Amino acid sequence: MTTGVLSPTGRIRSWTRAVFPYVLAILVAFAVAGAFIGSMGFNVLRAYETILFTSFRTPYGFIQTLTKFVPLTLQALAFTVPLTAGKFNIGGEGQLIAGAIGASVVGILLAGLPGVLLLPLVLLGSVIAGALWAAIPGWLLYRFRISEVLTTVLMNFISFSLINYVATEMWPDPAAGHPTTVPIGKGGMLPNIIARPPLHMGFLLTILAVAFVYIYTTRSVGGYELVATGANPRAAHVYGIDVRKLSVLALVLGGALGGLSGGIEVAGVHHRLIEGLQSNYLALGILTGLIAKGNNLAVPFVAFFIAILEVGASALQRTMMIPGEMVIIVEALIVLFVLLSDVVKVGEGA
Amino acid sequence: MGTHLVSMQGIRKTFGDVVALDNVDFHLEKGEIHGLLGGNGAGKTTLMNVLYGLYQPDAGKIYIRGQEVRIRSPRDALAHGIGMVHQHFLQVPPFTVVENIVLGTLPKLRATTHLEEEIGKIRALAERFGLEVDPLARVEDLPVGVRQRVEILKVLYRGVDILILDEPTTNLTPQEVDALFQSLRFMVDQGLSVVFITHKIREVMAVCDRVTVLRDGRNVFTVSLKETDEETLVRGMVGEQLDVATSFLFSGRREEARPRSFGPPRVEVEDFAVMGDDGTLAVDGCTFHVRAGEIFGLAGVAGNGQRELAEGLMGLRAVARGRAHVNGIPVQEGATREILNSGVAYIPEDRLEDGFLPRASVAHNLILGYHTRPPYRKGWFLDWRLVFQTAWDLIREYNIRTRGPHDIAANLSGGNIQRLMLARAFAHPMKVLIAHNPTRGLDIPSMEFVYRKLLEQRAQGVAILLISEDLDELLLLSDRLGAMYEGRILGILEHPPFDKYVIGRMMAGIPAETR
Repeated sequence: MTTGVLSPTGRIRSWTRAVFPYVLAILVAFAVAGAFIGSMGFNVLRAYETILFTSFRTPYGFIQTLTKFVPLTLQALAFTVPLTAGKFNIGGEGQLIAGAIGASVVGILLAGLPGVLLLPLVLLGSVIAGALWAAIPGWLLYRFRISEVLTTVLMNFISFSLINYVATEMWPDPAAGHPTTVPIGKGGMLPNIIARPPLHMGFLLTILAVAFVYIYTTRSVGGYELVATGANPRAAHVYGIDVRKLSVLALVLGGALGGLSGGIEVAGVHHRLIEGLQSNYLALGILTGLIAKGNNLAVPFVAFFIAILEVGASALQRTMMIPGEMVIIVEALIVLFVLLSDVVKVGEGA
Repeated sequence: MGTHLVSMQGIRKTFGDVVALDNVDFHLEKGEIHGLLGGNGAGKTTLMNVLYGLYQPDAGKIYIRGQEVRIRSPRDALAHGIGMVHQHFLQVPPFTVVENIVLGTLPKLRATTHLEEEIGKIRALAERFGLEVDPLARVEDLPVGVRQRVEILKVLYRGVDILILDEPTTNLTPQEVDALFQSLRFMVDQGLSVVFITHKIREVMAVCDRVTVLRDGRNVFTVSLKETDEETLVRGMVGEQLDVATSFLFSGRREEARPRSFGPPRVEVEDFAVMGDDGTLAVDGCTFHVRAGEIFGLAGVAGNGQRELAEGLMGLRAVARGRAHVNGIPVQEGATREILNSGVAYIPEDRLEDGFLPRASVAHNLILGYHTRPPYRKGWFLDWRLVFQTAWDLIREYNIRTRGPHDIAANLSGGNIQRLMLARAFAHPMKVLIAHNPTRGLDIPSMEFVYRKLLEQRAQGVAILLISEDLDELLLLSDRLGAMYEGRILGILEHPPFDKYVIGRMMAGIPAETR
């Protein structure tokens, strides 16, 4: 009565069915955005060429893309890892800032230590700070069942004040015209893996983080429980999984990844704490996670694509005077159409 | 062509790729009780939902009293004199019987409703059709059997003369079933015609004049009860899928090997009380034990604390009073993993809600609850090679239709999900099994399969607590049989054969006088 075993053609068809909505969403998003760009009086084709190929035209563009890729991927994972267990972490920004502060505190206080010691400590500081920052919403969820959606967002606002305090009161750099701390110790800075144009080691750390997340969620007992909880928390509970504890664990893991993204921004990019270093990585990270539909393994690929668009966006602004926001519109449209394609599919099934 | 009261011809209905009804004919005569017999998924309810206007057929014609009609909604159906009573009652519990019956029929909204006239009408109807009920009683205070009468009165009040009953004996005690059958006779004597949907051959034999058997969405045959026997109906229902001659389900015979010896108690429950979701005691002082190698059956109308008892024993609810040991583990909230890991298998009642991971893979589903112990667990990791190997074996053995262990479980159909849950429970070694309505929603071959598995496990010395709303199932399988009513066990029958009327009285809240 039911479908039965699928034929090879059926398998191909189902694979196409999975990829097709993405292709369609991207095409439609570009078409709609193209209408905007065209109506603003710009050359649409040249604009697209700039967006898509800036990353590949020069080594500098490519390295820049890889550098963007790092915080995007980590922020997206900070969103998708808790999502694996059905928890919504909207606090990647606060966790990034907490991680950046953690890295800076270690990097400034222990500035004299040699690199072999200081660098791991700086990174560890960021991971722990991010994890602790997420543990607060985790605890509120565990103890009082307060929705993590709310608390993780609110924790972001607290982090804005905290970074401001650290950068203006604790170790301010008087020479800077913007809330900034003094630099961290030389040993705490991430070495480059490519000298020119410079690519810092954060890229490798990100790949390691992706591998860790992938292996953890698909191979380990703890990862199994995350997946089970996300799939059906009630059933997971009935079969002996401590769902409440696991929700906290999921948020803390997300926080650690968010913290690491902050640590890498400090140790690899700015070498100090700068207010505003979180950029718009939270929004882009969530966007990446949504396009990846929460699939941890898909995250780095989507993040790479978004990084291309982002690098293209700044080029767009520089060379064609088209506002870079145009690219955010494209990205948002892609998300919209990808999510819409799900709705359409569900509608067909009913 | 002689006119039938209702004539459905060549009805076809598909849901996506699934053909639910394929060229089905059905004819109802005036003044008959017409059984519609088939297993789960045979298409009985779908066919009647078409007649009642809930589904539009893809093809086929419907004639009522010789006129071709199109029934677009239940409102149309009622206008043609057709009423349907579903398995799940649509009632407002805090309302009185009369309020529930007139709900939706009063022509306009008034500041005050004067129901005296309606009460009179309902009393007259109740008397005429032998459906005794107090119109002023509140529905929430009534037992299931009476609530069903309310549901029947509700459609009769709307003036129908064709009554469709969907599995009406679900959750009735044997006494209530007898009373229902009596009033059905009354009704046809008064000129009504009844379609009686059921999967129980015994009920067809007891009350129907004619029967139409469906299987896999197709007509098998329609016969007069005078011209058929149980064996023919069984074969019609199951076809070649099941060897009826060797079937345990249809043998009607219990195993000969009794009296048997039982092992030590593996489940010990003493004055056990568990809180329900509404904050009152749903289980209020249960005492029983289940020994190794026996099936202890627990009967009861749904909602009398069976679910809470099962969940309480699995460590999923706070123990309010008393003591329980399952497989030697003291039961308390949060001990679920310890209980499972000691070798306890659990088949929850609501398998979709409580046991199924739709967004995870088939393999994930097959090891849920078994994932923290050997052989699957290796330190921090799971031995996925073994998991997949096992999963392939189980997919084959339990005939689960899927692309493989990788496949997302949400792609499975309802029957395959059921088999997946059963595979998980039965495939792993166990000492205790707590099973709640394990055959609900299964087709007949799968039911037979579950029964065999239960007997197999019992033979291997597993202590089985079988909680079920299907009394026939319990009578067939149990070594000892208790009945639950409002959180208490009103009595335990220690030996088969069991008197179903004694059990029925206990299910209705009357304690067994003697043991």
